[in-house]
Amino acid sequence: MAQEAHGALHDLLEVRGVTRRDFLKYCGSVAAALGLSETMAPQIAAALEGAPKLLPALWINGGSCTGCTESIAQVDSPDVATIVLDYLSFDYFETIMATAGTQAEHNITKRVEEGGYIVIYEGSVMTGFDGRTLTAGAPDKTGLAILEEVASNALAVLAVGSCAVDGGWVKAHPNPAGATGVAAYLQSKNIKTPVVNLPTCPVNPEWIVAMVVQLLLVADRDVAKFVAATKWVTRDYTDEVTKEKVGLLMPAGIYGQSIHDNCPRRGHFENGEFVSKLGSKEEAMGYCLYKVGCKGPQTFTQCPVTRWNRRASWCVEAGSPCIGCGGLNWVDNNAPFLMRMSDMQLDGVLGLGNVQPGTAAAVVGGVAAAALVAHGLGMNAAGRVGDGPPMETAKAYDRKRAAKKGGDK
Amino acid sequence: MSGHAHYREAHPLVFVITHYINLICMIMLAFSGFYIHFPFFNGFMGVARGMHFVAMYVIIINLTFRIIAAFFVKTATQLGSRAVDTDIKNWLPQEENKHQFLETVKYYLFLRKEGVISAKYGSLQKIAYLATIPLTYLQAYTGFAIYGPTMNMGFFSGGLEMVGGPMNMRIIHYFMMWVFIVFTMIHAYLANIYNLNPSKIIFLWKETDH
Repeated sequence: MAQEAHGALHDLLEVRGVTRRDFLKYCGSVAAALGLSETMAPQIAAALEGAPKLLPALWINGGSCTGCTESIAQVDSPDVATIVLDYLSFDYFETIMATAGTQAEHNITKRVEEGGYIVIYEGSVMTGFDGRTLTAGAPDKTGLAILEEVASNALAVLAVGSCAVDGGWVKAHPNPAGATGVAAYLQSKNIKTPVVNLPTCPVNPEWIVAMVVQLLLVADRDVAKFVAATKWVTRDYTDEVTKEKVGLLMPAGIYGQSIHDNCPRRGHFENGEFVSKLGSKEEAMGYCLYKVGCKGPQTFTQCPVTRWNRRASWCVEAGSPCIGCGGLNWVDNNAPFLMRMSDMQLDGVLGLGNVQPGTAAAVVGGVAAAALVAHGLGMNAAGRVGDGPPMETAKAYDRKRAAKKGGDK
Repeated sequence: MSGHAHYREAHPLVFVITHYINLICMIMLAFSGFYIHFPFFNGFMGVARGMHFVAMYVIIINLTFRIIAAFFVKTATQLGSRAVDTDIKNWLPQEENKHQFLETVKYYLFLRKEGVISAKYGSLQKIAYLATIPLTYLQAYTGFAIYGPTMNMGFFSGGLEMVGGPMNMRIIHYFMMWVFIVFTMIHAYLANIYNLNPSKIIFLWKETDH
């Protein structure tokens, strides 16, 4: 069986113009994403080659821009990621499937009945508008109903992209769509299927592959083994929409360290060499983008290691500050993207709108200084400066109470 | 309130030194903190971070020492007096501070003419001084919560979760620095509004008669 699969994969790779060497390099990259040593590459290659049969998968699109699909689908052929993803059998994938109508719906129903599949969920779960969003097919088949249906019997749900993780940009203030993440929503519906969260906007396709490899091959499709064999970080947060307290499970190999700590521009940060203006000489020289709003220090993803677009480059390397898309509530926490701090949303406070904390603090400091100057002038005018005011002989409290029953003394 | 003498008993040498350490550390912390927040000139980030951490450890140790010392060192019980008692008793509200809070507020708002009877410090002053203790520890806490090596420890990650992530904690840390800046402005102003004798005793340890 293994030999057959080897042959099949080998032919497939050859047809797509991928050399054995490219394939092994790719397996090394997957190993790194899984937090394994690159010496594991041959084992991963063997596991991929020996994959007994396709793992059925449903790709469900939630409320989002479909950028995560773009991220995966727009890789130019031949690409190893595409081929490895061919090892998933997508029974449903709205953007790229050929089936339509009743047949497509039937694919979901049938797959859910049979079980043994994974769900890849892209986009936010939109609870707003009475849940009447993302309706496909029958009028009552809302996005929420579809998610509940497919998640209930799945081996695992991969929540890909920040929208699926916690609502992403769709939930940005004031969140009219009532957008939330898959994990929070399923928890609120008491659906216990494990949810693996892969934030960033869009998701990095290699991280999906890493998780699929982990579940399919390293853990042999056994979810318990998959959860046990993977190192996780848990990001706790309280979801505003469902009010659920959620511990988001993310693979530690991918989300365990900050971008700042692995950044190729980090040396310039320590040296105090900064870019003050985008497009400047300093930017080209690889200086640090901290002053133009880089959120790398508080964003925990493996972008500098995995990189993007077939490991060609990534945001900071290309000269753009990190906008923190891999964090939770990332838009509200990081906008404006070119400022060091996020705005405070004070539209409820005297209609102030968005205010930078620095501006607010400077105003408070300025008012305090002005008040002290005014007070000092008052103290002077009252003749208190110098020897001070005449002192009271007894506390006002005691004087008042003296008439009654004695006060403190 | 001010026409009194300033004797060394009010501020024994050990507290003159802890006050100096506080002042120097606060200046270093605020300066390096502003720099880390936004590097306004080049070439200083590594030094600024080092300075920020060292000054923070020193000020926390200094504060803790200052609190412990308050139980052993004797200081003046009243303004312009050489009579001493254990410092903590003079630091916490004293008998003379009772029922004087509103009167003190009125005095500073020019709603009364006479100065207010107070003990070693006035009611407002004691509230402000005591408030800086938890605020200083809290500021260190918010700092550790956005510091890479410590932010994942349960004690700090719990706080991060509570405020909604490192960005919000960063903003809280930033605002709290402004609380200290405003405190320092008011503190320096009120201490020296009548004359500079309070500065002479706390910085130069020089006694003055009124």
